[in-house]
Amino acid sequence: MLLGVYDNPDATFDVTKSLKEKGYDVYDVYTPFAVHNLDRVLGVKRSRLSTAAFIFAMTGLVSAVSLQSFTSYFDWPMLIGGKPFLHIPTYIPITFELSILFTAFGMVGCFFVVNKMFWGRNSDIIDLRVTDDRFVIAVNVHEGKTDVTELSNIFVKGGALEVRERINEL
Amino acid sequence: MSYESPIREPLVNGGKTYADVTRDILRPMENKASKGWWIGFTISAIVLGIWIAASTYTFLTGLGVWGLNKTVGWAFDITNFVFWVGIGHAGTLISAVLLLFRQKWRMSINRSAEAMTIFAVICAASFILSHMGRPWVAYWPIPLPNAFGTLWVNFNSPLVWDVFAISTYFSVSLVFWYIGLIPDIATTRDRATGLRKFIYNFFSMGWNGSTRTWHRYEMISLILAGISTPLVFSVHSIVSMDFATSLVPGWHTTIFPPYFVAGAIFSGFGMVLTLLVIGRVVLKQEEYITMGHLDAMCRVVMLTGTMVGLAYITEFFVAAYSGVEYEQYAFINRASGPYWWSYWIMMGCNLIAPQVFWTKWARSTPWFIFVMSIIVNIGMWFERFVIIVTSLHRDFLPSSWTMYTPTFTEFMILFGSFGLFFTLYFLFIRYLPTINMAEVKSIIPTHSHDNHGSHAHAEKGDTVHG
Repeated sequence: MLLGVYDNPDATFDVTKSLKEKGYDVYDVYTPFAVHNLDRVLGVKRSRLSTAAFIFAMTGLVSAVSLQSFTSYFDWPMLIGGKPFLHIPTYIPITFELSILFTAFGMVGCFFVVNKMFWGRNSDIIDLRVTDDRFVIAVNVHEGKTDVTELSNIFVKGGALEVRERINEL
Repeated sequence: MSYESPIREPLVNGGKTYADVTRDILRPMENKASKGWWIGFTISAIVLGIWIAASTYTFLTGLGVWGLNKTVGWAFDITNFVFWVGIGHAGTLISAVLLLFRQKWRMSINRSAEAMTIFAVICAASFILSHMGRPWVAYWPIPLPNAFGTLWVNFNSPLVWDVFAISTYFSVSLVFWYIGLIPDIATTRDRATGLRKFIYNFFSMGWNGSTRTWHRYEMISLILAGISTPLVFSVHSIVSMDFATSLVPGWHTTIFPPYFVAGAIFSGFGMVLTLLVIGRVVLKQEEYITMGHLDAMCRVVMLTGTMVGLAYITEFFVAAYSGVEYEQYAFINRASGPYWWSYWIMMGCNLIAPQVFWTKWARSTPWFIFVMSIIVNIGMWFERFVIIVTSLHRDFLPSSWTMYTPTFTEFMILFGSFGLFFTLYFLFIRYLPTINMAEVKSIIPTHSHDNHGSHAHAEKGDTVHG
């Protein structure tokens, strides 16, 4: 794996774009903040987290309505001020709140699962400065297929501060 | 990756580079705590001690130590609860609503405003627990199978809605805040050593800055903002329904939900200003929290203050127009009854005082903004006091008319809750980055970084670097 280290998001973006166009196997780009459109250039598929969020919202909605109608209509109907036992309008606030609660926790839970993030994880940080002010493009080198000299030339021409080799797989 | 319009004031001053941002914002965390921090923290901790003592005394003795009586059954406790919940709302407004509107100036203030939200809701929740009188049965409003033959809670009651609203609000705000913190905790981790590295590594959840992760991160941030926006409006609407669904004259009005939400934003921005006018100087963040930020927040204060003022006047009109004499008396009693002074403090602080922000001088003079922010906080506390106490103390039966006077214990619980809030806030500024570094870096113009002459903006970049 060959790494190109940059200090500028525009240069990182341009180099990534040209590498992808030339058919290099760009593994990932590591940035200190979200660089817009870089995900598109890199060919990251649109995340399905929004679908997950919708499913969790519906789960919350159904749970809230079932909880309220089960407890106040089926399980133990209570006459309070002559109000109907199954009183849908008064269920709206709690249904709304629970939908939001389920969406937030479900979606964030999925986010952690797909990123394999959990408390205490020791991840393999590609470069310590990548959370500060450096941008790293990681390109997979395939034995015999990838022209390493040309690749490092592209890196340097694009303004790389350093080009490094990395033996370990991420 | 940010274009800077030549006609707008820059969002961050001083031609900062990415490394400058990291260094400036982590400075208070990475160095020894300053003397000022220790003084502030110690005072807050002492006040927190007063809160613990006064609450413990209340719980050991009973609610009789408060000034409540048969007519005024809710007073200081609910006033303080609504006050603190309201303060919390500005954090969500800044981080969620302004994110949806793509207001980039929010980026250097959202972290501390969200922290303020969380700490304010903790204070609010403490008043909910204490006003129950028996906090050890505080789980009763939660629909749990129980030993009373599974007797459930009353879902028709706004008080039960409030339990769901406040707990959802607290947990979703906490999640939103934590998600925003993860990249910055990772930045702290990568600069730390020893035990600090271990702790920040634990909470960074293995963040590595990958573009795939950022892609998902951006998506969930947007969705969390999207769901927090209606959430913040619903929470204070539900708080207002604690009153509005009752039959008490002065409470029983349909204007309450929007009026409470406007008031919450007003008081919340007041508190954000109180914290940031001081904080930006003490933490040396004037280049990140610029005069432009203060100006924008003053405008929000003026707008929302005028909105609540309009609501006060509308309430009067509706009471007069309704033809209901109890309703009319409730409002005449507010303005001219025995609690007239609290009504006019409210009017003066919330409607009249913020009008000074029409002038540029008021919006650009930090000491004056600080004074105004305190006035806003006082005014909004009195708004809740007026709504709660003056509506209750003269009810339908003149024979039960009475006055409410808070006791020393109640004052100490209110005073002490500020200790709780500020203790948490001081811990926050010491151990977590107070400005969202990752977001601020994304709004810094790229040309500040371009030293290679390979890019179109290079000439401008050279002047920035000197």
